[in-house]
Amino acid sequence: MSQTIPVAGVKPVAQRGKQMFPLAKIIVFILLGILLVTQLYPLLWLLIYSLKNNEEILSGSFFSLPSKLMWSNYTDAIASGNYFKYLLNSLITTTSTMVLVLLLSSLVSFAISRFRWKYGQLVMVLFLIGMMIPMQATLLPLMLIFKEMKILNTLWSLILPYVAFQTPIAVFIMSGFMKSIPHEIEESAVVDGANVLRIFWSVIIPVSIPPMMTVCILTFINIWNEYILAATFISKEALKTLPFGVNSFVSQYSVNYGAIGAYLVLGALPVIVIYFLLADKITKGMVAGAVKG
Amino acid sequence: MNVLRVSKWTIAAFVLPCLIVYVGLVFIPVLVSMYSGLLDWNGIGTSKFVGLDNFKTLLFDDPVFWPSVRRTLMFAVFSMAEIPVALFVAILLNRFVKKPNFFVSAYFMPVILSVVIIGQLWKTIYNPAAMGGMLNQVLEQIGLSSWTHSWLTEPNIAMYSLYFVALWQYLGYHTLIQFTGIQNISADIYEAAKIDGAEGLKADWYITFPMNIPIFKISIVLAFIGSLQAFDMVMVMTAGGPAHATDVISTHMYNMSFLSMKYGYGSSIATFLVALCLLATVVINFIFNRLERKYT
Amino acid sequence: MIKQSNLIKLVLAGVLAASLTACGSGNNGGNNANSGGETDAGKNNAATTNNGGTNAPAEEPKKENVTITFQNIYPDPTDPKNGMLKKIVADYEKANPHVKIELDSLNTDQQKLKLKTQAASKEVPDITIVNPAAQMQPFVEANLFAPLNDMVEQNGLKDTFQEGILDWYTFDNNLYALPDGNNIGLVYYNKELFEQGGVKVPTTFEEMVDVVKALKAKGIQPMAIGEKDSWTGSFLFMNVLLRTNGPGFLKDVAAGTKTFEDPAFVEAVEAFQNLVQAGAFQEGATSFDYNAGENLFKTGKAAMYYMGSWATGGIETSSVNGKVGVFKFPTVGGKGNPNEFMLAPGSAFAISANSKHLQETKDFLNYFMLNFPKEAFAVKGAVGLAQKVEGDFKAAGYSDMAMEVLGLFKEVQGGDLSFDNTMNPGTSQGHLTSIQNLFVQKKDSAEVAKEHQAAFESNK
Repeated sequence: MSQTIPVAGVKPVAQRGKQMFPLAKIIVFILLGILLVTQLYPLLWLLIYSLKNNEEILSGSFFSLPSKLMWSNYTDAIASGNYFKYLLNSLITTTSTMVLVLLLSSLVSFAISRFRWKYGQLVMVLFLIGMMIPMQATLLPLMLIFKEMKILNTLWSLILPYVAFQTPIAVFIMSGFMKSIPHEIEESAVVDGANVLRIFWSVIIPVSIPPMMTVCILTFINIWNEYILAATFISKEALKTLPFGVNSFVSQYSVNYGAIGAYLVLGALPVIVIYFLLADKITKGMVAGAVKG
Repeated sequence: MNVLRVSKWTIAAFVLPCLIVYVGLVFIPVLVSMYSGLLDWNGIGTSKFVGLDNFKTLLFDDPVFWPSVRRTLMFAVFSMAEIPVALFVAILLNRFVKKPNFFVSAYFMPVILSVVIIGQLWKTIYNPAAMGGMLNQVLEQIGLSSWTHSWLTEPNIAMYSLYFVALWQYLGYHTLIQFTGIQNISADIYEAAKIDGAEGLKADWYITFPMNIPIFKISIVLAFIGSLQAFDMVMVMTAGGPAHATDVISTHMYNMSFLSMKYGYGSSIATFLVALCLLATVVINFIFNRLERKYT
Repeated sequence: MIKQSNLIKLVLAGVLAASLTACGSGNNGGNNANSGGETDAGKNNAATTNNGGTNAPAEEPKKENVTITFQNIYPDPTDPKNGMLKKIVADYEKANPHVKIELDSLNTDQQKLKLKTQAASKEVPDITIVNPAAQMQPFVEANLFAPLNDMVEQNGLKDTFQEGILDWYTFDNNLYALPDGNNIGLVYYNKELFEQGGVKVPTTFEEMVDVVKALKAKGIQPMAIGEKDSWTGSFLFMNVLLRTNGPGFLKDVAAGTKTFEDPAFVEAVEAFQNLVQAGAFQEGATSFDYNAGENLFKTGKAAMYYMGSWATGGIETSSVNGKVGVFKFPTVGGKGNPNEFMLAPGSAFAISANSKHLQETKDFLNYFMLNFPKEAFAVKGAVGLAQKVEGDFKAAGYSDMAMEVLGLFKEVQGGDLSFDNTMNPGTSQGHLTSIQNLFVQKKDSAEVAKEHQAAFESNK
């Protein structure tokens, strides 16, 4: 990832296409526009879906509109689906996981990429091995472990495995980035008399915001909708997370699709809002972070 | 070369917290799973140690297993083939659009939606025309009735229908990754290239492409992970059916462990999966180490 | 497993030390409330049985708080059964303030997965849900459930159940679970569509195939099915087999007196394929899950629907209510007794043998089951209960169709259980796949029989 460290100040690159032919430009915009529609349509579809009744959903054609707006789907979702309680639990779980992943993986990545020690490579390989293992393959052993730890039925039984399974990819990304940071940086810091912790905290971390953002996003999308572990390790109503709400409208011989739709809208809403608010920061933040270095 | 010389204790303080959580909750469970793969065990009652019997059956005697491996690998191949497309989109966005961030974010949307909704959406697209299936209706309208299919239930087609959904869902994901990579290539390099007469696509070939190689690595690793873990989507859309036609390794593992109640056998599949992960990690790292050496 | 858990403990010591110091304090509120209660209870018991140490409280200690975890499959808050469940629980909690019932409501697939995972680590919740006969056998053999012989005698609970139904949940004379339902397989049909198609209710399977063809010719979708959930097709197929062979085929196979290559089985496959090949089922049937399939019938888009009688309630509340009749599955090739039905004893409530509050849990379940029929009757969910229901269905507003279904129940002269309730899980999965395959391609019936036999042999 050496290119993330700019030689000098980075100018916005977006200006480069100015003198292109208008025709090429039109074609490109049509192309990008079509893509925009296909990728955004699901949101609209979901919105319409969430206002339909079951029969319309299961038999209606793709573009059909609901005959009557079923706002009751939303009241069902919020009231009987325990929306706010589950949302809070999801937020706690996700945030704690993100914080822990960032903290733990940046510490290790720092050690792997900047310390001079014998086993750095070995530790790296150890993490690489775990990078692709699907969490569900370890369901039963995890159950046994958590039983011994007596943390079944607490949010820790979700946060800990989430953290454990997200760290490999986080270490992979972070250490890849940290390796590319020029060594002069900490050399000068050492000369200034800074200790290791200080170098980590005030020199390396501020530069590493971009990969941290990436790690945040990856962690988030991997765990926000996670259901199998959540359903297996949590039995207490008070601790359940959002995917529970979605699945609670599926019973043995019936499915309340409208309420599921409403729940999914409600579940995705905070995410979409946060994402669009931060979208600029995420991409800009990456460049800015690099400039500081 | 790394410069910081620190004491053992410092290293331990930096490494151990993460390593303990990781080893304790990923490594050990995997080892336990591997051990279970040597058992004849229904997951509930008493177990019997049978050595490598499960693996023998798995590798030589299971008609579902190898096709599911092939589908998983195809999944990975298709996902990786998507990355250049994503790079292309990222280049277009970067070059032609004044505020590309909106587009990047919008393309990313399907990734954050739950698989439940993605599955439901695509089922309504793939349904037979009489049931409101969009794809078939459109084909009929434009006079291509002979092209209509039962997209999710014809054994030869169903898997491709699933691949496509995954490609659609993750295009924005790879676009975002490639885009941030491009954003971080310094404009000065392009300026310099321009003086040497390289512009537009030529500049992309000689600068964007090689400069983004580390980013490719991330993309490819993520694509591979995604395809090994395609469990949710397959379960929602076809549950591996009809008659195993869309089973992938992870769904086969689930079926064996929990539906057929052969937990030991299911664990031997898990072991295979882990081995596959290892192999993939080694191969990917080997290729990229060479590539990076060549281009940097 | 012993080796495993030692290994785990060893590692845990490390993990615990590292992570729990960080988590410990935050945890206490939520998690430990339960176990804290227990240990207190233990202390109190010890104190009282020891005839009062110096520290024992002077007055009789109040009943300690007890939390019972009740895993169930009624998660949908808009489903009457969920409301019913909550009502009985609330009533009980009011009458017994020291008992708290923690409901863990999951959908069916998830509950099965969770219970199996919990069973493997001997963490079965106080009350859980299991399926009858072969499906619950592994749990019983692993001694995970408490026998309910004594409990079912209390308050006359046993007498509320229908004759013979509890046998499906009894192993070695020990009863391990109490069912929530008892259903039969039947064919629902849409009278309006039958009229449009100019067809009559078939009395033989061959007529049924003709009806399918006639409806098809008129552009009416003959039958609906949700074959993504592959048990649906199997349930129908097993009814064909029940006709060609009579009851008990799978038992004979298991006992070794018959094989799947028996002519009766091949004939059943042949007949079933005739139905499929006549175009009975909707296009893409294997991608329709149970609900999507049933919905075709419930929205008047399909003329017939073979299902367990539990579907009655859902059809009653759909737009085709009033137009629907039911008929018994007809004879096949002149064989079989239409009064033998596919029997579907329902999912059932079992109690963990390791429950920390075994007595309290039994008391609660006893109360729950005693009140179950009354409450189910009130929410119009009393068709296909496992218990006898008192009350006038007609007067309570049950539909004509529901009355018809109730009438059929009276004519039942035995039958068979579904495949997966009879055979071991491995063979069942082979069977389900094999039948699902018939929906996408025609196969040689003898070949299908061979597939079954092979699956059976390899899962013995």
